[in-house]
Amino acid sequence: MIEKMMNTRLFHWVDERTQLGSIIKSQLTEYPVPKNFNYMWNFGSLALLVLVLQIVTGIFLVMYYKPSAELTYGGYTVAFDSVERIMRDINFGWLIRYMHAVGASAFFVVVYMHIGRGLYYGSYKGPRELLWIIGVVILLIMQGAAFFGYLLPWGQMSFWGATVITNLFGALPVIGEYLQQLLRGGFAVGDPTLNRFFSLHYLFPLLLAAIVGGHIHALHVVHSNNPEGIDIDQEKETIPFHPYYTVKDALGVGVFLLGYCYFVFFNPEAWGYFIEVDNFVPANNLQTPAHIAPVWYLTPWYTILRTFENKLIGVLMMGGSLAILFVLPFLDRSKVRSARYRPVFRQMVILFFVSVVVLGYCGHSAPSATLKIVGAIATSVYFGFFLLLPFVHKFEKTKPLPEGI
Amino acid sequence: MTDKADHSRRNFLYVAAGGLGAVAAGATAVPFVGSMFPAADTLAASKTEYDVSTVVEGQLVVIQWQGKPVFVVNRTADMLNRVKGHDDLLKDPMSQAIDAVQAEWMDTDEKRIYRAIKPEILIVVASCTHLGCIPLFKPTSGREDWGDSVPENWAGGWHCPCHGSFYDLSARVVNGSPAPQNLHVMPYKYKTDSVVLIG
Ligand code: HEM
Ligand code: FES
Repeated sequence: MIEKMMNTRLFHWVDERTQLGSIIKSQLTEYPVPKNFNYMWNFGSLALLVLVLQIVTGIFLVMYYKPSAELTYGGYTVAFDSVERIMRDINFGWLIRYMHAVGASAFFVVVYMHIGRGLYYGSYKGPRELLWIIGVVILLIMQGAAFFGYLLPWGQMSFWGATVITNLFGALPVIGEYLQQLLRGGFAVGDPTLNRFFSLHYLFPLLLAAIVGGHIHALHVVHSNNPEGIDIDQEKETIPFHPYYTVKDALGVGVFLLGYCYFVFFNPEAWGYFIEVDNFVPANNLQTPAHIAPVWYLTPWYTILRTFENKLIGVLMMGGSLAILFVLPFLDRSKVRSARYRPVFRQMVILFFVSVVVLGYCGHSAPSATLKIVGAIATSVYFGFFLLLPFVHKFEKTKPLPEGI
Repeated sequence: MTDKADHSRRNFLYVAAGGLGAVAAGATAVPFVGSMFPAADTLAASKTEYDVSTVVEGQLVVIQWQGKPVFVVNRTADMLNRVKGHDDLLKDPMSQAIDAVQAEWMDTDEKRIYRAIKPEILIVVASCTHLGCIPLFKPTSGREDWGDSVPENWAGGWHCPCHGSFYDLSARVVNGSPAPQNLHVMPYKYKTDSVVLIG
């Protein structure tokens, strides 16, 4: 089909002026991809799909959403009411909003799988260090975008989540207070905060789109890793991206959409995991909900914060737990990439995944003495992974690598 | 031609021009960043008046001052008794850690302990000094009313639902809480016997 299209006169006219043909060839029909990908390599294209879904549904939501904390006659606020109006009165408003709210969680599911894949198969190691670093930037911007977005419906969780997180910045010495005022535009979270979060919520995904472009460009320079983690013969051991992987990615999209549609149509709140119950209550700045926790995708980092009694240390450790991802490629000194051939690293990385899940569980639950200890242990495992990594190559007996794939 | 060029002069001009350009670029950031700080009307020190005689004995009321929540509690004699006797469990029993937890009128030990101009009327900022949630008022002692959400030797006070900080009935933070300080006090004075001017 692509060949047919590329033979039309219109295409030739465009090609002479843009070299579109050679772009399609080098990036798609002749772009070499290792022939042995497993399904863990599907999540990159899924992340791209969800980003597009978020931007499209977001742009349509903005047509009716109103970012104002002004009180209405009903006793709620303009923002809260506008979201309720989207849900009840706007044609298909409920669908678009649920696509967006479920999409935010889906985005993190997909991206966390994508990152986990990179960890397990050593994709962060040379020559892909910069590709990994760009990925960490994407993760941070995503978390920012989701945090800003969560304030917009102006429910109880929106309000108190934003209060807690903006207070985090207040813990930093000297600049903290200014940074906090800069984020809030006032002494407490209020109308100015809502407006600027709306502005940034629009900006961040567009930034994301640009950076994702850079991520893919960097990928196409250094090429994909593969489950064996070995360097491959770019001619003999690859197949062209199109049609082989376009088809495999399409299968992934189908499976993903099945799950996504289940949640959008039948279970948009996902038992309080995607939209928290308290967020159906309009924001009240005089009453904190009995239990506040961020949405599931931020809870691992929230637990790290809660583990430390000293506020500043908690904030620094939370920041550090994300920042340390930037230097991961330089911490790991082993020559072998894939965990398949690294018995010690394999145990470590699996333990690391478990620690993140446990951290997430602790952060989602109400604080208790037992959970505090569990959280502290999981936090040590999380950091222990990074601290041990620079020394593993000294004693790890890696398994012999295959000659080819 | 190039031989004759005065390179040190050229470099100076590059640096000077480049430096000025950088300063100008930096200066344009000022209005943008500045616009994000609280606006004049938000800053305008708004004051709040409140008639504390409307708070009955033992009751807690949450009012607003500059968009922030404020606790007003009318403490009973029994509650005032329970402020004493656990100084060793507190991070800062005399409220001396930072400016925000004390006030000029705290000129006696009594006032530092009760943290109020009139001992029974406690007025403090209601934001947990950890991350700003509003703590829950759990005034009776022991676990009878509160279950294991409070420690066994609970003398009454506040429990923050967010990360489990505890404060006593003078809003002083209990050891082991993630909150670093006592609840903050803000400037207030009695205009009449029962009307306070906050701010
Ligand atoms: C990185 C992509 C994005 C993520 C992760 C994201 C995330 C979120 C989240 C978590 C919410 C709160 C959902 C709720 O509980 O109702 C939200 C709301 C909202 N978002 Fe986004 N968003 C993204 C992109 C966008 C874009 C590009 C726009 C507009 C151009 C947009 C416009 C809105 C609007 C108007 C709301 C408020 C309505 C509502 O609460 O449903 N979003 N977003
Ligand atoms: S906000 Fe009160 S304990 Fe964290």
